[in-house]
Amino acid sequence: MPYLPTSQAFLEQSAQLLEAYPDTTRITTKYHFPTETPGARAKRSKSQAKKAASTTSETTTTQTTSAPVASLTLKTYNPTTGIVLQYQTNKIAEVSRLITGLGKLASGADVASLGLSGAGGGDVEMVDAPAVVEVVPASAPAANANAGQGGKGKKKGGKGKR
Amino acid sequence: MAPHLSNEEFFSSLTDLLSKTSQKARGSVFLSQKPLIDGVSTAAPSILVRATDGNTNAPNPKSQSKDGKITKKASSKDKIKFSTVVKVDDLEAFYTRYADVCKAGMTGLKKRDRSKRKAKGKGGAAKATKA
Repeated sequence: MPYLPTSQAFLEQSAQLLEAYPDTTRITTKYHFPTETPGARAKRSKSQAKKAASTTSETTTTQTTSAPVASLTLKTYNPTTGIVLQYQTNKIAEVSRLITGLGKLASGADVASLGLSGAGGGDVEMVDAPAVVEVVPASAPAANANAGQGGKGKKKGGKGKR
Repeated sequence: MAPHLSNEEFFSSLTDLLSKTSQKARGSVFLSQKPLIDGVSTAAPSILVRATDGNTNAPNPKSQSKDGKITKKASSKDKIKFSTVVKVDDLEAFYTRYADVCKAGMTGLKKRDRSKRKAKGKGGAAKATKA
């Protein structure tokens, strides 16, 4: 089942699913740490130590614990139709926006109101993606741009590990 | 099943659970929400919010088996789970609080990176001109 590219897309599609099946659809949020093999753990702590050594200013501010990065997965599931919508993030900055979004979904907000709130409350890339249904071509490149950014982030992580 | 907690108790339990999980840097916290349908009233339903650790904080059975005992599966007694019912009128206040608790508790996630944010802003501008 698909992972949606943006939180906005997730909330919109979830709203549609909830609208269609309000009684049976449920939303789960999973906050989880990855399971690591001892080898992977050693590798990661090594790379973190290296990073800490290169940026001396950061060592004072960030804790030098070798904790893996947790992630947050949101899942909207409808058992009768078997539809699953998922969204995964590892950024703390997104959490409060996502949860308030879930609150709006719980109170039965429709797609339009979610779109409006996304444009007003979104502080980063959501600003120029108003969720009016007619502007589908405009929102598509926005999704692509986001995917690109995700790729960048991954690349950086890869460099750090080496 | 244990009775539902009040919203206030739910938050304190959740704060506890999240901070424990974050400290250990291991395991999961599952939160779910669904409407509570009684099949009678037609008014907007209350929302049932559940939280559990899915028994992921139970000790590893492999490491336990060293001292002779073989635990076949993690005991379900150790599982942490609690739930609360949110009335429609309280939804907004509840979720504001809920967001705060989650944000404060999920410290294992990536912190906001200032330098990256700048880059993102640039990307956003470029995107705007393209569109």
